[in-house]
Amino acid sequence: MFDPLTLQVLANHARAAAENMAVTLFRTAHSAFVKETQDFTVMLLDPRGRTFAVPMELGATWYPGLDKGRAIAMIDHYEPGDVAFTNDPYAGHVATHTPDTHLWKPIFHDGEIVAYAGGHIHNTDMGGAVPASLSRSLTEIHQEGIRFRPTKLLRRGVFDEQVLAFMSNNVRKPDLNIGDIKALVGALNTGERKVHAMLRKFGVDAFREGVRALLDHSEAQARALLAAMPDGTWEFADYADEDSDAGNPCRLKLTLTIRGDEAVLDFTGSDPQLASSLNVPSGGDPRHTMLLVGVYYVLYTLNPRLLLNTGLTRPFTCITPEGTVLNPVFPAAVGMRSLTCARLRSVIFGAFAQAIPERMPAAPAGNNCIVNVMTADDRRGRTVIAAVNPVVGGGGAMPHRDGTNGSGADAAYLKNTPIEITETETPVQVTRYGLMRDSGGAGRWRGGLATVLEFRVFAPDSRITARNRDRSRFRPWGTLGGGAAGPSDMVVNPGTADERRLGNIDVAVLQPGDVLHIRSAGGGGRGNPLAREPWRVARDVARGYVSEQAAGTLYGVVLVGTEVDEKATAALREAMAAEAGEGRRAFFDFGPERGEHEALWTDAAYAGLTAVLAGLPVHWRFFVKTELFRRMGRETRDLGAALALVRARYPQIPGSSTGPAPA
Amino acid sequence: MGWRIGVDIGGTFIDFCALDTETLALHTLKVLTTPEDPGRELLDGLASLAERHGVDPRRVERFVHGTTVGINTVIQRKGARLAMITNAGFEDVIELGRLRMPEMYSLFCARPDPLIPRDRIFGLAGRMLADGREEAPVDLAALPGLVETLAGLAVEGVIVAFLHAHVAPDHENAVKAALAALAPGLFVFTSAEVWPVVREYERTTTAILNGYVHPRVAGYLGALETGLAGLGVPTRPLLTRSNGGLMSAAEGKRACVSMLLSGTASGVIGASWLARQAGVANVLTLDVGGTSADLALIVDGAVLFGTDETIGEFPLHIPSVSVSSIGVGGGSIGWIDGQGILRLGPESAGSSPGPACYGRGGTQPTLTDAMAICGYLGHAPMAYGQLDMDAAKARASLAPLATALGRGLEETAQAMVDIAVSELFVEVEKLVSRHGVDLRDFALMPFGGGGPMLGCLLARELDIGQVIAPRRPGVVSALGGLVAELKADFIRSLFVPCADVATTTVREALADLAAQGERWLREGQGFRGSAVSRVSADMRYAGQSFEIEVPLEASDLAAGNWPAIRSAFHARHLAVYDFDDPTGEVELVNLRLVAVGETPPLVIAAAAPSPGPAVPARTISVRIDGAPCEVPLYLRGGIEAGQTLRGPAVVAQEDTTLVIPPGFSGHVDGHLNIALGREVEADRV
Repeated sequence: MFDPLTLQVLANHARAAAENMAVTLFRTAHSAFVKETQDFTVMLLDPRGRTFAVPMELGATWYPGLDKGRAIAMIDHYEPGDVAFTNDPYAGHVATHTPDTHLWKPIFHDGEIVAYAGGHIHNTDMGGAVPASLSRSLTEIHQEGIRFRPTKLLRRGVFDEQVLAFMSNNVRKPDLNIGDIKALVGALNTGERKVHAMLRKFGVDAFREGVRALLDHSEAQARALLAAMPDGTWEFADYADEDSDAGNPCRLKLTLTIRGDEAVLDFTGSDPQLASSLNVPSGGDPRHTMLLVGVYYVLYTLNPRLLLNTGLTRPFTCITPEGTVLNPVFPAAVGMRSLTCARLRSVIFGAFAQAIPERMPAAPAGNNCIVNVMTADDRRGRTVIAAVNPVVGGGGAMPHRDGTNGSGADAAYLKNTPIEITETETPVQVTRYGLMRDSGGAGRWRGGLATVLEFRVFAPDSRITARNRDRSRFRPWGTLGGGAAGPSDMVVNPGTADERRLGNIDVAVLQPGDVLHIRSAGGGGRGNPLAREPWRVARDVARGYVSEQAAGTLYGVVLVGTEVDEKATAALREAMAAEAGEGRRAFFDFGPERGEHEALWTDAAYAGLTAVLAGLPVHWRFFVKTELFRRMGRETRDLGAALALVRARYPQIPGSSTGPAPA
Repeated sequence: MGWRIGVDIGGTFIDFCALDTETLALHTLKVLTTPEDPGRELLDGLASLAERHGVDPRRVERFVHGTTVGINTVIQRKGARLAMITNAGFEDVIELGRLRMPEMYSLFCARPDPLIPRDRIFGLAGRMLADGREEAPVDLAALPGLVETLAGLAVEGVIVAFLHAHVAPDHENAVKAALAALAPGLFVFTSAEVWPVVREYERTTTAILNGYVHPRVAGYLGALETGLAGLGVPTRPLLTRSNGGLMSAAEGKRACVSMLLSGTASGVIGASWLARQAGVANVLTLDVGGTSADLALIVDGAVLFGTDETIGEFPLHIPSVSVSSIGVGGGSIGWIDGQGILRLGPESAGSSPGPACYGRGGTQPTLTDAMAICGYLGHAPMAYGQLDMDAAKARASLAPLATALGRGLEETAQAMVDIAVSELFVEVEKLVSRHGVDLRDFALMPFGGGGPMLGCLLARELDIGQVIAPRRPGVVSALGGLVAELKADFIRSLFVPCADVATTTVREALADLAAQGERWLREGQGFRGSAVSRVSADMRYAGQSFEIEVPLEASDLAAGNWPAIRSAFHARHLAVYDFDDPTGEVELVNLRLVAVGETPPLVIAAAAPSPGPAVPARTISVRIDGAPCEVPLYLRGGIEAGQTLRGPAVVAQEDTTLVIPPGFSGHVDGHLNIALGREVEADRV
C-alpha cells in the first residue's frame, strides 16, 4: 500500500495532469461536439490500459472506468511518439459507436511503458448512410461509417498521412475530424509531459506503486460503499419507448445481487439485440464502463469524495448474454446507443433504489433530447442547420429535497443556448422556454419539473430532429409512495385546430407559421405526497410548479387564495388516506401506461420470451420478437399461443420448441 | 503635504495603506474587523493612523476603499426582496440558467435557489425581436394590477428584463417609467441599463445581483461618506471595483454589481504594481487567507480579465480581474477518510474559531497548526500583536490524526503542508492551461497571511524559478487602491459580419461608446486629467458559439478597415486556440470600450543597497521537507536592501512568515521585496 500520508499528493498531481489535458483539448478543438456538447474525455491509463485519472470539470461522464487494455493489446509494438486509435465498436470494445474516436499514446521511461495518455472525441461525422452517421433506423454497423480497428495514427511523432487520407475520403466533414483529432493528440502530448514531470517528482517506482494504490483506493472506496449496503437480490426492469421504427418497447432487465463488498449485475432478460441502432456494444465485458455509468452515479452520490478510476469497477460483475441489446453481435448497428444507455442508467438506479431506499432518489427524467433545426434563412438566402436547446427534464426527488427542475441527475452535463443567440442566428422564434407545471412526480419530495420549449418556424419544409427522445410512454418512476412523473411529448401547433401529437417520433417537418412544442419528462416523486408539508405545496402553487387542482387531488391540500386551509386540508388528507386503504403504496409508481403494458406482458410472459429468443439464432431474435408483439393483445393474450401463431405463419423459424440454443 | 489612503476590508482584518504624497513614505495598519458594527473599524483605523503616523484627515487627497459588503450580502443571502418583470413564457429563464451544473457525477446535484423566487417573477405580454423590431407592444395596462400584487408581496425593488433589450430597450424603459409613476417607493433596474449585453440569462442575472445588493451597499456607502465628511476628509471617497479600476462611491450606490469583487481585484492590481516596481513582467500571484487561496496571472505586466467569475453561487458576467479561488487556507482542516488516507479541507475553521494555535477556541487540526508544528510560526509578534501563538494547542489538535495514522506529529504536519501545496498545484495547472502560458517565464508573488509560507514550496512544484516576496504582503489589496485608476467598461452587442455592410453600424456604436466613456469620466467622476480609451471586440468565426475578445484599433473600426480587424482576430484565435482559419467568415458580436482616467504612475525610488549577508536574529529549529534542521531566523524589519539570504531560512514579520526552503537564495531589492531565485535541480531528489 502506498503511503496514506502522501497518496493525496499523487492523486492531486494525476488529476492536475488530467485537467490539463482536458483544457488543452477543449481549447484547441474545432467542432461544436467538443466545444459545446463537451462530448469528449481524456484520461491517464496504467500500462495495462486501466484508467487511473480523469478530469472532474470538463467533458462527458462515461469513461472514468474505461479499460483500454484490449485495444492497446491489438497493436503488438509501440515506440516513443506513437499514437494509436480506433473507432470500431467491434474491435477491442473500447469505441462504442463509430463517431467516438479513441486515441492512446504510450508514455515511456527508460525504454519501458509506464503509462498511457488516452482520450476520445465524438467526430461530427464518420460517413455512412446518414449525415452525422447516427440514425435509429440503421440496422448494421456498415451503414454507420468507416471503421478503424486499433491502428497507429502517428509513428514516432509523425502522422500517418495514409490513414488520415482514408478517413478524409470517407467522412462528410474531414476538416472538423482532423482538427479535433489533432487537438486530442495535443492533449495526449500534454498528458505525456505531465506524467514525465510526475516521474521526476516521485521517481518511477513510487509512481508505479502510486498508480496501483490509486486504483486500489477507488476499489476500496467502492467496496466500503457496497459493504454498507444490505446483502440481497433486487430485480428491476425499465423500458425504452420504442426498440426501432417498429415501435415496440425495448425492455432492459437487471437482477442486482449484493453480497458483502461485491455486486453482480445480471442483465439476463433484457431484449434481444435490435434491428435498429439502439444496441449497446459491451462485447460481454463484465466490467465495461458503459454498463457501469449508472453505478458511478450511485457511488459518487453516496460519497462525493470518490476517486474516479477503473478501480471502482472491480467489485462489480455484469452479465450480458450474447445477442442481446446490451451485448449485440457483429454487425448490429449501435449508433444511437446513448438512448439505451439512459434507460440502462435508470435500471441501475431502480435496483439500487430498492437496495438502499433511504439514500437513493427517484428516477430522473432520463431523456436527454438534443434538438436540431434545418430551415431556410430567407434574409440571408441560405440553409441553416443549428442546435436549439436540449430539452431535458428534472432530477428525481431526493431523500432530502425536491428534484432539480429542468435538468439534473444524469443530465447535468448538458448546456443550453441563449434564446437571444438562437433567434439571432436561426430563423426561428421561441415562444416559450421554461418549466412544465405538474410534470414532476408528486411526493413527500417532489420530482424535478420537465422543460418545455416552443418555437415557430418561418420557412417551408423546416426539418426538426429531436434525437434521444424517450419517456413519452414509459414514465420516470416514483419511489416509496411518490408518483411517476409526467411523460415527454412533441406536438405541432398545440391548442389549435391543426394540432398534431407526434409522441415518440423524433423528426418533424414544419411549414411556415407552425409552432413545435417539445417537452421532456419530469423527475419521479419520492415518499407519500400526503406527507408533504402543506406550506411547501402552497409555495409550489404560488410558484406555478403545481396547479391548484393537483394540490388537491395529489397532495390533499386545500388552498384559499395562496393560503393553506388547514382544517379542510386535514379533512381531505384523512379522507384520501382512508381511500388509499390498508394496502401499502407500492414501492414504485410507474404510471398507468406501464401498468397497461405489463398487464399483457407479464413477468412470466417476458420470462417466456427471453427463453424463446435465447433458443434462436441471433439474426432471428428481433424478427420473432416483433412478430410476437404484433399478435400479443391483438390475437391472443397468451405468449404460447402467440408463438404458435408466429411459427404457423413462419415455419422457417429454426427449432421446433424453445429448446437449447444452437451454439 | 497630503495623503493617499487605501483601505480594504477582509474577513478578519481591515487593512490600511497610507502614502505620504510628498515623502512617498508608505505606512500600513491592520485592525480586527467589527462585524457587529460595519464601518466602525474604518473610523477606528483612521484614528489610529492619525495617532501613529500623523495622518491628518483634512489633508487626505484620495481615499480609496475596497469592501466585501456587496459580496457578503450575496453569500449570506441578506439582500433586497426583489420582484422581476419579464416576457410572458420566459419566467423560468433565471432558474434554468445555462442548465449545466457543477457536480456532474452526483444524482443530488442542484442549483442554488435563485435570488428572486418564481412567485415574485411576473410575465408581461409584449415582444421585441432579435433585430430590434417590435413584434407585440408591451402590456402596460397590466401594470397597475401588478403593482398592487407587488405591494402585497412587500418587495423593495423590481428588476425589469426583456428579451433583446440590449438591442431594443424600449419595453424595459417604458415599464420602468410606468413603475416610477405607479410605485415611486420601489427602486427599479433594467437589464439593459446595468449591462446591455446579448444573452438573456447573463444580462438578467447581472441586473438581479445589482438590485439585490443595492440597498445595503448604498446604505453602507452613504454612512461612509458621512463618516469621512465628519472627520473633515475633503475628498469624495472612491471605490475599487471588479475590473481593477476605481469609481466614485456615489456611483457605487447604483452600479453596485461592479464592485462585488473589489477586494480580490485590487489585490491583483496591487501585486501588478509591486511587480512593475520589482521589474518583473510575468507573475503568478498567490494570496492565501484563512479559508481560501486566490490565484491570478499577470502577463507582460497586464492583469488578465475574465467574464466567468462567480459571486457566491452565481456567475458574474461583467469584466472582472480574473482570479481563481480554491478552498485551501490557513484554516483548512485535516482529516482521515474512510480508507485511512490523510486529506485536507475544504472544511475550514475560518477566522472564527480559527486554527487551534490561535487560542481562540479552535480545536480542529488546521493547516496553520501544521505549520506551527513545522516550526514556522511564533517567532515574532503576529497580526500586529493582536494574536498569540500557542504551539501546544497546535500539537494537541493534530495528535488524533497522527495517532490514527500511526505516524509522528511532525510527519503528519509535513504531510498536511504537502497536500496543501498539491491542491494549489492542481488549481494553478488548470489556470495555466486555460491561458496557455508557460510558467517557466514567471515569478511567483506570495501575499496574504499564508502565501509566503507556501510560496516557495509551490514555486518548486510548478518549476517556477523566481519568488518575489513583497515587504507588506498583508496589505496588497489596500495598496492596489492607492495605485488604481478610474476605469469603466462599456459594451454594445452588435452581431454583425466583419464586412463593409457593418461599417456604419460599428462607427456609430463606437462613437456612442466613446461619448458614454467621456461622460462617465468628466460628468460622473469629475475627472480633469487625460483620458484614455481602449477598444476591443468579442469576435468569432460564423457558427462558433463562443467569442474571444480581441484588442482593436479605434481608427480601424471607425474607418471600416475590415482586413486589419479580421487579421487581428485570426492572430488572436491562433494564439488562444492554436489554430485559425484565415478564409473563415468572421462576426463581431460585442464592441467594448474601457474608459480610463490616467493617474500618473506612483513611483517610489529604490532604497540604496547596503550589500552583505542579512543578519539573522537567531537560529531556530524547524522541519522543512520533513527533515529537522537548524535554520537562521530573520526579522523582516531588520534586513535591508541589498542584503542576501540563502535557504533554508525563515523570515518572520508582523503579518506573515516567509519560509525559504533549501535551494532558494536571493536578496532584498531596492523596494524591500525579497527576491529569491531557485537553483534549478538543486532541490530535486
